[in-house]
Amino acid sequence: MWFNLAWRLFRHEMRRGELTIILAAIVLSVAAVLSLSLFSERLQSALTERTSQFMASDRLIGGRNPLPEEWLLKAQEAGFNTAQSTYMRSMVFANDTMMLADIRAVNENYPLKGDIKVTDTPFGIGVAIDAIPMPGETWVESQMFQTLGLSVGDTIEVGDKPFVITRVLSEVPDAGFSIFNSNPKVLIRKDDLPGTGIVGPGSRAGHYLFLTGEHADLEEYTDWLRPQMDSDVHFIMSVEDDDSWVGNSVRRAEQYFLLASLLAIVLASVAIAVAAQRYSQRHYDPVAIMKTLGASRKMVQRVFLLQIIFITILGIAIGGALGYGIQAAVASAIQERVAVSLQSWYWGPVLIAVFTGVICAILFSLYPLLKLFSVPPLRVLRKDLGAKMSSRIIQFLAAGGAIFLLMWTYSKNLKISAILFSSGIVLVLALLAVTYGLIWLGRRLGKGRMGAWQLAWARIQRRSMDNSVQLISFAVTIMLLLVVLVMRNDMIQQWRDQLPQGTPNYFMANITETQKPQMEQHFAESGVQVEEFYPVVRARFVAVNGERVNTEITKEDEENEVQSNRRDAFGREANLTWSYRLQRENKIVAGQWFSDYQEGEPYGMSVESKTAERLALKLGDVVTFNIGSEVVDVTITSLREVNWQTMQPNFFFVLQPEVMQGFLPTYITSFNLDTERKDEIARLMAPFSTVTLFDVDARINQLREIVDQVSMAVEFILVLVLIAGALVLIAQVQASMDERQQELAILRTLGAKGWLIRASVVFEFVIIGVVAGIMAALANELTLYLLQSQVFQMPGSLHFEYWVIAPVVGAAVVGILGAISCWRLLSLNTSQLLRNMV
Amino acid sequence: MNTAPEYMISTDSITKKVTTSEGPLQILQPISFDVKAGETIAIVGASGSGKSTLLGLLAGLDEVSSGKIHLDGAALHTMDEEQRARLRGEKVGFIFQSFMLVQSLTALENVMLPAEIAGLYNPEALANELLEKVGLSHRASHFPNQLSGGEQQRVAIARAFITQPKILFADEPTGNLDAANGEKVEKLLFELNESAHTTLVLVTHDTELADKCERQLLMHAGELTEKQSDSPQAKGDEPQLKAI
Repeated sequence: MWFNLAWRLFRHEMRRGELTIILAAIVLSVAAVLSLSLFSERLQSALTERTSQFMASDRLIGGRNPLPEEWLLKAQEAGFNTAQSTYMRSMVFANDTMMLADIRAVNENYPLKGDIKVTDTPFGIGVAIDAIPMPGETWVESQMFQTLGLSVGDTIEVGDKPFVITRVLSEVPDAGFSIFNSNPKVLIRKDDLPGTGIVGPGSRAGHYLFLTGEHADLEEYTDWLRPQMDSDVHFIMSVEDDDSWVGNSVRRAEQYFLLASLLAIVLASVAIAVAAQRYSQRHYDPVAIMKTLGASRKMVQRVFLLQIIFITILGIAIGGALGYGIQAAVASAIQERVAVSLQSWYWGPVLIAVFTGVICAILFSLYPLLKLFSVPPLRVLRKDLGAKMSSRIIQFLAAGGAIFLLMWTYSKNLKISAILFSSGIVLVLALLAVTYGLIWLGRRLGKGRMGAWQLAWARIQRRSMDNSVQLISFAVTIMLLLVVLVMRNDMIQQWRDQLPQGTPNYFMANITETQKPQMEQHFAESGVQVEEFYPVVRARFVAVNGERVNTEITKEDEENEVQSNRRDAFGREANLTWSYRLQRENKIVAGQWFSDYQEGEPYGMSVESKTAERLALKLGDVVTFNIGSEVVDVTITSLREVNWQTMQPNFFFVLQPEVMQGFLPTYITSFNLDTERKDEIARLMAPFSTVTLFDVDARINQLREIVDQVSMAVEFILVLVLIAGALVLIAQVQASMDERQQELAILRTLGAKGWLIRASVVFEFVIIGVVAGIMAALANELTLYLLQSQVFQMPGSLHFEYWVIAPVVGAAVVGILGAISCWRLLSLNTSQLLRNMV
Repeated sequence: MNTAPEYMISTDSITKKVTTSEGPLQILQPISFDVKAGETIAIVGASGSGKSTLLGLLAGLDEVSSGKIHLDGAALHTMDEEQRARLRGEKVGFIFQSFMLVQSLTALENVMLPAEIAGLYNPEALANELLEKVGLSHRASHFPNQLSGGEQQRVAIARAFITQPKILFADEPTGNLDAANGEKVEKLLFELNESAHTTLVLVTHDTELADKCERQLLMHAGELTEKQSDSPQAKGDEPQLKAI
């Protein structure tokens, strides 16, 4: 019986549009969650694919010794694609000169991801090639052509073996992003390496195994591998471990997608909570009637729970189809820019969307339904009798628990969930306080002649509890939209800041004092702006606090990591620069930057903080450098944090200028040249054959491409969330207009003029919109601060403009939506209004 | 108090107290009266006198603060809400001033509702039969807001009789209707009541309607008195009031 009755009620109420709001809320929640999570899953996979190209594989296993053969066999058994390489530094000889180079010996499968790019002329535009050099041949980078005066077809010697240069190497996928510590690359076949004799015991080579395959299989393989690895000698790298600028950006974008999806869940929950409350109130009479006619509480529960189940199933079905459609449309719209695959299917988002629909529908309608079930039959005689339950604790616990559960389940990230959740709680509490403040204010402002304002205030005051629910839902919605909007702005801005238009894409080193003015003039004549010249002097460490530093390699050093690091760094020469001006994106974290030098004082030096940590240097330490035949003592006066992700020269050691007087430096500088003008490089550099040129154009373009793709993806996500938010706002206004219908009907019946009613409703919504906007701006700041500092590792910032924008937009949007709904209601005649109320 | 089978309703010193913001308020003073099976009885009185409260108690929609009520021999005052609901489903029919139809069910489905709740066989046929009787078979598939007030109340009457209740409670059944429709509904109500031998308790302002009942009880400030009516059915010669 009850099944039939539930089905009949569902069918009729569906047709009569009475379930539209709650159905729309469930559809919205499922569609938003599904489209966002499916889309971000696709995007993440596309971006991971893109970033994996920077590793030339999905997994990279490396070691200082040749890797055991068994590891390769096991990987091949597992069905992975494999490639191997050995990288090392060695001198390359040609034309009676020599140069330090990065020798990259690779086998045929290299690279598994990404492309090798080559050209026929130095500094030319690279073209992808699906091959590696033939035996006895090599491809070398432009810089070596320039320095060693080479041409394609010439021969170079690597160790004992000669190689014929057959192409100019312009790009390898796993080149890394370090500009200044790189030497020109020389690509040869791995089979040719033994012939060179440069790899032997004690040589500092890196041996690598590249793998691609299914994620789960790779995980299984690395789990097998880990126990066999010696952490001092071996490492495993995956895209997730990528700590580069790109890796960080993509990870941040992924967190943003996650955040957006979480916010979509909250939005959906708010929508369902509002709708469920409305649903419950609309069913007070039917429940009272059924109880009066003899229905037991159990029967009532069954009928209405079943109805909710019907609505949920329908909502999930429609929402699922809609969500899939939206993400497919968005994905195909951006397919040309970001290589998102529409082929692959992900069950995770589907499950989470269904789970969201079910959890939201059940938990958010729990309290309204419990209220509904408690409606007394006596309501048939006394319409003023509502539900008996007075405590909202169950509602808050159920709703809060549901939101937190969903966030946590979905994100698997306690921190991000806790931040959003706790700021939501703060917002709700603040809004409750504000609501009571409004009641107080309303009492004062609502006095006097009954104008539109007074009516609006009076209504806000009278409906304080209902309004508090509305206020909270409006404010939460606006806040969530603000969070998504501001995070997107800040994040994209930060990315773009790191690669502004005109970012130098060529760096020059070894510029002499006399070449400096010539270079400035020559470049200016060609319309190329040369950036700042940084003086550089090569120096060698001698001692720290008078204690001589051992630069010999000893057995003990190998066994002691700190000592080993110390040796590594101290064993090499370092580039010193000097300046009174702190470089951009450098921040003093200890001590003080140089002030004017006073005669007799020790000379100061600023050390990059991580280097200081690695070398166990602290403020006040006296470091002795050997520069040529001179010995210089400097005292560490400050430690700096350096943003290495900026495309500008950065230095570990910056000295006080006075100390360097009398030393003849060389300079390094940079310039920007459009990719289209690449062929001018040879002409530009012709007068400066001794200057070393680093071409990072390809790298910058790759970075920019990724930033563009990630930014665009973020924009799309933002649009999706904005649409979801707008729909939630509309649903909220619609629901609250229904509640106002009775009052409007009475006012209309009593002869109130249309404009008065309209104005009072608009004012009421405007007031609610302003308050919700202000509270949203407040909660937005709190949430953003926590998110940026705790999750996104970005500097927290205040957003004063949103303190104005949020209330204005809140008032405008809520006011306009209210006005539209009001217009619709007032277009009905009074008797229709009254009849609708029954 | 009389709990013998010929009495459909017996009340013994029932009171109703509520707690208001200004302290406890006694809505009904101790009331005792009996209604015989098949009797028609009108409770009349001014607005706020406590008529509807009394109706709510008699129908088991509300609980007494003290005293005893027996409905067809069942002790209402000892029952919980679930037991009272079952009793209502089995023995009680209702007609309300505001019709109280379920807006999302058609006229036919509204009439079927009590039969379905009570688990009767073939509720649709029963409902169709009753709609025929109230002259609304052609409106069976209409929703309440597509019906006039009079039509809605006729649907409500059909609904009230579908379970063949032993007792029918009517709260201002013509209160929301114009004179013509009011008269139609009255006529229908009494006809059906007579043919079904139902005990009728109706609450009304309408003296004409009250006069059609065999007995009239006057409610005034929570106190109930029996009015010796001069209606055709009344036995006494002079209208007089008797405290009960």
